[in-house]
Amino acid sequence: MIEIALISPAVLAIICLLLGRHTRAIEAISVAGAGSLLVSGSYLAFRTFDEGAIDEGIWFMDQFSGLMMFIIVLIGFLAVVYSVPYMRQEMATGEVGKRKVSYYYGFLFLFMLTMVMVVVSDNLGMVWIAVEATTLVSAFLVGFHNKATSLEATWKYLIICSIGISLALLGTIFVYASSLPVLGEGSDLHWTSLMAVAGQLDPAFLKIGFVLVLIGYGTKAGLAPMHTWLPDAHSQSPSPVSALLSGVLLNCAMYAVLRYHILLTHSPLGGGFSSGMLLLFGMLSLGVAAAFIITQKDYKRLLAYSSIEHIGIIAIGFGFGGFWGVFGGLLHMLNHSLTKALLFFGAGNVLQKYGTKNISEVRGVGRTMPFTAALLLLGALAITGSPPFSIFISEIMVLAAGIGQGSFLPVIIYSGILVVVFAAFMGHVVRMIFGEPPPGIEKGEISRSGLLPMVALAAAIMIMGLYIPGLLGDALKELIGLFGGME
Amino acid sequence: MVNDLSLDTINALAALILLADFMLVASSRMRSLTRIFALQSLAMGGLAAVVAFETGVGHIYVVAVLSIALKAVVIPRFIDYTADKIQVNREVEPLVKIPGSLLICAAITMLAYFVTEPIMELGTAITSNCLAISFATVLIGMFMMVSRRKAITEVVGLLVVENGVFLAAVSTTYSMPMVVELGVFFDIFVGVIIMGVFAFRINRTFETVDSTVLRRLKD
Repeated sequence: MIEIALISPAVLAIICLLLGRHTRAIEAISVAGAGSLLVSGSYLAFRTFDEGAIDEGIWFMDQFSGLMMFIIVLIGFLAVVYSVPYMRQEMATGEVGKRKVSYYYGFLFLFMLTMVMVVVSDNLGMVWIAVEATTLVSAFLVGFHNKATSLEATWKYLIICSIGISLALLGTIFVYASSLPVLGEGSDLHWTSLMAVAGQLDPAFLKIGFVLVLIGYGTKAGLAPMHTWLPDAHSQSPSPVSALLSGVLLNCAMYAVLRYHILLTHSPLGGGFSSGMLLLFGMLSLGVAAAFIITQKDYKRLLAYSSIEHIGIIAIGFGFGGFWGVFGGLLHMLNHSLTKALLFFGAGNVLQKYGTKNISEVRGVGRTMPFTAALLLLGALAITGSPPFSIFISEIMVLAAGIGQGSFLPVIIYSGILVVVFAAFMGHVVRMIFGEPPPGIEKGEISRSGLLPMVALAAAIMIMGLYIPGLLGDALKELIGLFGGME
Repeated sequence: MVNDLSLDTINALAALILLADFMLVASSRMRSLTRIFALQSLAMGGLAAVVAFETGVGHIYVVAVLSIALKAVVIPRFIDYTADKIQVNREVEPLVKIPGSLLICAAITMLAYFVTEPIMELGTAITSNCLAISFATVLIGMFMMVSRRKAITEVVGLLVVENGVFLAAVSTTYSMPMVVELGVFFDIFVGVIIMGVFAFRINRTFETVDSTVLRRLKD
């Protein structure tokens, strides 16, 4: 059953690459295919939420994988829908040719395939292979425009993430080593079999293994100070790809870290060590992101730094732990990807209209593109944690977790930084939306169909801000036990 | 029990890998860089083969063969080919001069022995010495990446890091499950090809493979 979610993007990628110059056919197949992927992925997620884990040997999905799967297929589908008008506009301005469009859709599906593989592989080695594959595949998407700046971003992305990921491989080896005395030669590096003997794993190997895994996958997740590739790659990619990178890929890397965190929580080492590390890196990311958000001049980089901030918040959530920390962290993964995708789509519209990424050169979006401006403003309010949007809820949960743990210093820093980021981020966005548009910018939206996925996302974050669907809430509550949050 | 001859061979090969690290840092020509890397991979493959023979774990032979075939033959050839194609100048152009680099690497090696001491005893007996060398190789590979100018030397540095990781895998856990091992080789191979493609594109766009020109994106 799980194979369907792996085979269909592979098939779609091949079709897109083969169709070549038949752009219309590629668009139709991509949208329909991403739609069917959304249906099958959501069904798998629903099954894990409803009935619990699905174990099919090398493929394994519990509620955590289910949540990730849902994020991948949902944002993936919306990114494909948004890509159609976005790529048409790029073709109209002569930025890209027909042949390149087929590569674009093909690699988009391959990218989704590798991300799905990350969350459904039971074997931690396979998880590593899949994470490395996401880098290799998405490098082509990051370097899509083939300009000097995008090549630079791609090179940094490839080199920094590959080096990070080789540390994660070293970490994986040490975690494997920790299981050998218990499982012997029969140890298969499956997460489920490691969990079954978690109480007997060797703590010394686990400890060094976790540190390496956290640094390795943390590089990919954009945790500071290993985040340096992220603002470049996320700002140079085409906007729909930025949405996938920020909203989905970072979560997938975080997912990999958290699988090890769960393992450590159940090991003789206890969860204290790994949650302490998560808290430390989360705080660092929050601080670094805030500094760059305040001084930012490029709005796509602004969004990229905001992603570092939110990955930091997620790490802090799991670092605090407990019921609210884990619940808030998991919910924040979903909320952040929905909101960030909305913002990157909006930024894509602004970029195509104004032809610049400089905040100072963009004025009066409210006049030129009123719908985009409204959705952007809404997204900006949501991402900075204003009520009644969903991110507000998860940020409050993380805060409550910190207070519950009695870790007041982190709580004070956390809330202080959130306030600063709110002011800085809104300042940038407000300046872009209001004022007189520069001369020569025509009125009118880039496309109507590009607004649809944005409206859908805006509706989702508003609804999620008011109430959490029962099924999702129950599934997340079941996961809390896994993270040791019930004690 | 472990055969003395095997143990000596393993240690000798591990020493050769460490020696190759230093030779890599000391070499000033692109060509010798790929040759030394090939030599290191050959030593790595040989070490894996001895471990396979000694432990009787069949699939380590596969690791040995793949390591030699891919990393000692195919990948160095591919890198040479790419370097020829983009007519990269033959000098390595280190940012940190060679004597200084060697001193740093010596310090790195001592550090590696120091940090692995607590876990050395936990490792399997026959190859515990390799763990320190694998750490040193990982760190020296990283040092190469940051201290050398050319995009292609960064790729070689990355491959050295990966050799270090493999040494750790073979020495502490007698390599990983078969399917993982194959996937890792596949990823490395594809990764090198993709990096080659981008090195080529960078060269075409900037008319240099000096990665220090990649400094436009900043805050």
